[in-house]
Amino acid sequence: MSGDKPLSRFHQPISTPGRRMLHHIPLNFVRKKVMGGGSRSVNQDLPLVPFIDFLLCLVLFLLASFSASGELPIDKNVKLPNAQNAEDMIEAPMVAVSGTQILVDGTPAGSTRAIMDANRLQRIEELAEILKNKRDLWTQLHPGEKHPGNVILQVDRRVPALVVKSVFNTAAQAGYPAVSFMVGKMAK
Amino acid sequence: MAGIDTGGGHGGKRSTNHEIPLIPFIDFLLCLVMFLLVTAVWNHMARIQADANVPGKPKDEPEDKIEKEKELHVEMTGERRFQLKWQEGTTVLNTIDVERKPVEVGSDITYPDLAEKIQKEWSANGAHKATNDKKFDRAILHTDNSTEFAHVIAVLDAIYAAKRKFDVGGGKLEDFAAFQVTFAAK
Repeated sequence: MSGDKPLSRFHQPISTPGRRMLHHIPLNFVRKKVMGGGSRSVNQDLPLVPFIDFLLCLVLFLLASFSASGELPIDKNVKLPNAQNAEDMIEAPMVAVSGTQILVDGTPAGSTRAIMDANRLQRIEELAEILKNKRDLWTQLHPGEKHPGNVILQVDRRVPALVVKSVFNTAAQAGYPAVSFMVGKMAK
Repeated sequence: MAGIDTGGGHGGKRSTNHEIPLIPFIDFLLCLVMFLLVTAVWNHMARIQADANVPGKPKDEPEDKIEKEKELHVEMTGERRFQLKWQEGTTVLNTIDVERKPVEVGSDITYPDLAEKIQKEWSANGAHKATNDKKFDRAILHTDNSTEFAHVIAVLDAIYAAKRKFDVGGGKLEDFAAFQVTFAAK
């Protein structure tokens, strides 16, 4: 170093560190806000307890409305009609009647087209056979009990009555006189 | 965050304060909500009874002594109207024509005029009106072969819309369908 005068740069070699950030912002109220020194804190507490209450209510509602009865296997080719004055479902063999085929619990049991082409009411032999087998099996599994004779028909809304009548008659003759049509529930 | 504060913990060896882990709890609840929403069934299925059970004649009684009951035959064979027929055996007692006025509800069809008329007919001519009468009046639906199933269901729905009071026990009355419906599949 030359002379006694210290360089201004090194006038105070160790100094108290000041603010490095935001010191150039001239607006005091902005500085206060940004640095959290304002009159109101910007921190917020999430109201977790009411949120949990809400979630619990939602869970309880969904659990209460959870029902296995509505979850019935519906053939994807069948578009069911809706009705207002319908009853609750029962457990019974399902006969699905779409525009092309007839299925019993997913097993093919006849052709809708064949009935429409014949244009007359007829007994569907495959359907009768399958239903009769189901009835015999039920009787073997429940000895001494009377067969309830329930069957549920899932019929597509566009299927003509001729096909419905043929399936209905075949089911009744195979020992299932208590025939029900499956429908969607329509609000009253 | 939520916690349990016992207020101590200064002089003891270990603090008894505890934080309840709310975040995993909320995560769990959200997962549960998602699962229930995904598995929820929103369209509930129901059924409409269309019996093929027709009471036969008693075995030991002669034909002329069998008491014949009044039945309501609903015919949807015409394109413009329904025909309601009160019959006793093969004898037609009364015939009423009802105009066919389908009302579309979304993709479905209803017949409110027919439902109203059937309710009136039952009130006027029904045989089993007493609240303790366990027998129900019978309605038989006739359709032609080309009628679409959606229309058959709409008419069945209209017949089942007719209600009667029925004593379910202990003097408690409930609304029941006034008619037992048979689908004429011939």
